[in-house]
Amino acid sequence: MSHEPQAMNEFELNTTIANLRDLRESDLRDYDAVYLGDIYCRIYEANFLEHLADLEEGLQILQDQGKRAYVTTYAAPRNDFLPKVRKMLEVSAAAGAEAVEIHNLGILKIAHDEFPQLPVHIGGFANVYTDAGAEALRGFGAVRFTPNYELSLDEIHEITTTCGAPMELLVHGKMPLGISDYCFLLEYEEKWGIKCPDLCQKELFVKQGDWAMKSVGKGILSGKDVCMLEHLPRLLAEGHRYFRIEAVSESPAYRREVASVYRAALDRTIGGDGAVDEGWWETLRRHARIGLCNGFYFGKSGMDYAGIRPDAIGSLSTISRAES
Amino acid sequence: MVELLAPAGNLPMVEGAVGNGANAIYVGPRGWSRRRDQYEMSDDEVHAAIEIAHGGGAKLRVAINTNMQSREIPPMLRKMDNFVSWGVDGAIMTDIGAIAEVHRRFPDLTIHASIGANILNNEDVRFYRSIGVSQVVADTKLTLKELASRKEQIDVGIEILIHANKCYTYLGKCWMSPYHRLERTTDPFGKDLFKGSPNRGGLDYRVCLESWELYCGEEQWEKSVALKNDAFFLLEDIPKLIDLKVECLKVQGREYPVPLVERMVRFYRDLIDTYVAFPKGEAFNLSPWRSRLAAIQAQRDTARSDGTRLLLIEARQPVPAN
Repeated sequence: MSHEPQAMNEFELNTTIANLRDLRESDLRDYDAVYLGDIYCRIYEANFLEHLADLEEGLQILQDQGKRAYVTTYAAPRNDFLPKVRKMLEVSAAAGAEAVEIHNLGILKIAHDEFPQLPVHIGGFANVYTDAGAEALRGFGAVRFTPNYELSLDEIHEITTTCGAPMELLVHGKMPLGISDYCFLLEYEEKWGIKCPDLCQKELFVKQGDWAMKSVGKGILSGKDVCMLEHLPRLLAEGHRYFRIEAVSESPAYRREVASVYRAALDRTIGGDGAVDEGWWETLRRHARIGLCNGFYFGKSGMDYAGIRPDAIGSLSTISRAES
Repeated sequence: MVELLAPAGNLPMVEGAVGNGANAIYVGPRGWSRRRDQYEMSDDEVHAAIEIAHGGGAKLRVAINTNMQSREIPPMLRKMDNFVSWGVDGAIMTDIGAIAEVHRRFPDLTIHASIGANILNNEDVRFYRSIGVSQVVADTKLTLKELASRKEQIDVGIEILIHANKCYTYLGKCWMSPYHRLERTTDPFGKDLFKGSPNRGGLDYRVCLESWELYCGEEQWEKSVALKNDAFFLLEDIPKLIDLKVECLKVQGREYPVPLVERMVRFYRDLIDTYVAFPKGEAFNLSPWRSRLAAIQAQRDTARSDGTRLLLIEARQPVPAN
């Protein structure tokens, strides 16, 4: 089993995988850790969070590969989710999950009260915007934090310098933008001849002009891929060591190739060389259908690219506005 | 008796809401609440609003319900010092850390968890109770069954939005608007403003209401899909909510014209009073109320549709360089 980053030259690269099929098909060699589960939908294909035998097997697969095995949890659970959530936490603790990621403060309370042995990573939907917020959640067992995606690097730095809370940052992939209780894709099952749970696994975008967002049914994600490749030296210099490639809605090839780029880039940066290979850009561009952005890290609109490589935004797939 | 809580985006709206029967009013200090700054108030105006409300026998709550920055918590507390000294009756808040700090400093102040806290399940409520919240705004997607369960199991006040928007996403868990356009500026008092991010106190561009097309890869599958965001008035549920003994029925709408807000408040005042005085066990006829509400709704729909059109135009404007 790999260990938590301790030294300045160590880091963790992790990702998310929703089900056993995806886990088996994924080459995880460049990851240190994996979160199991889909946070958006209970009926996502064989979601680990509902199929607890699969979850046990998934945790075992990760442990056998020497990866840190984490479990994520639902971002917007209603009362009727909670019995299953309790069972899932029980299975996770018994099967040796090294941490549970929590987005919902009700689940945090359950974990704190009933499963205190499980370390808690706070997820991006938990809305940590301040050092005081991180401190309040530390009191409930939180040991790592994904700040809300709206925060800039400067604001994140304020939190880390004030309270020393370890942050996990999305460095690449489609940024979550929202979650709904309603899957509008279900309205099209008959028309498209595609049933749930296959519907949301298509590469679906809502677009208008140069705006685009990816739909995964109840979840809505950025159309562009957040890309922090050229900013890794700053992230490391500011003390960040936990990096997420958000690939829950992506293919195994995406998961493998993007991780390969970031593993190489992080290793090189740790070695003191922040240069970025042209081949890395080509890989990232190839997997980003709509283009690249920096999210909110530089205090701009989330879809902006504020880096030093403006050509990295790639070609926008621009669709004309409807005449009406 | 259930409390009728009304919005006020300016002082005439405070007077209008109090005059039409609101039991309580909420206002937002400029830069610190989930609305565009033109519907928020200076501190002096908040002071005046407290006096107007109290003079009319109503309470006044201040909405400090942005997800603020770490360094904004000390100035927020100084602002709260003033509001508390002026007699504010409660604070509507979202940020976990800010709630904990305000509760520590003002342990007797009633803290209401804002709709932006997105409290979805009973354990959520218990979490917020544990950090000092005593009343929670129910998410618009919750069912009566879920509300009844909350009421039965937890000692907490429940506020129900009876005029509001039901968004496509869960409110407080959405940053679609700033993804498309975020304009950061600083006001003369040093407060960062986040135009485009409702969670951070700026306006919401309502990008969900854009006429979206749907693509699978590069292929267009649908010319129009809806990410539904509907404004609603509750009517049929009002008697059930009163019977359930929820503490507060809340009207949203600081951005609407004063006469429209006055009509909404008067409508609900009359409905609540009539239902409460009605003999229990007899069928309450909602028909006349439906037709009266339809006229208000038509006026609201026009105002909202105009607002959405302008917001979507504004959302496409380039962000000025700093």
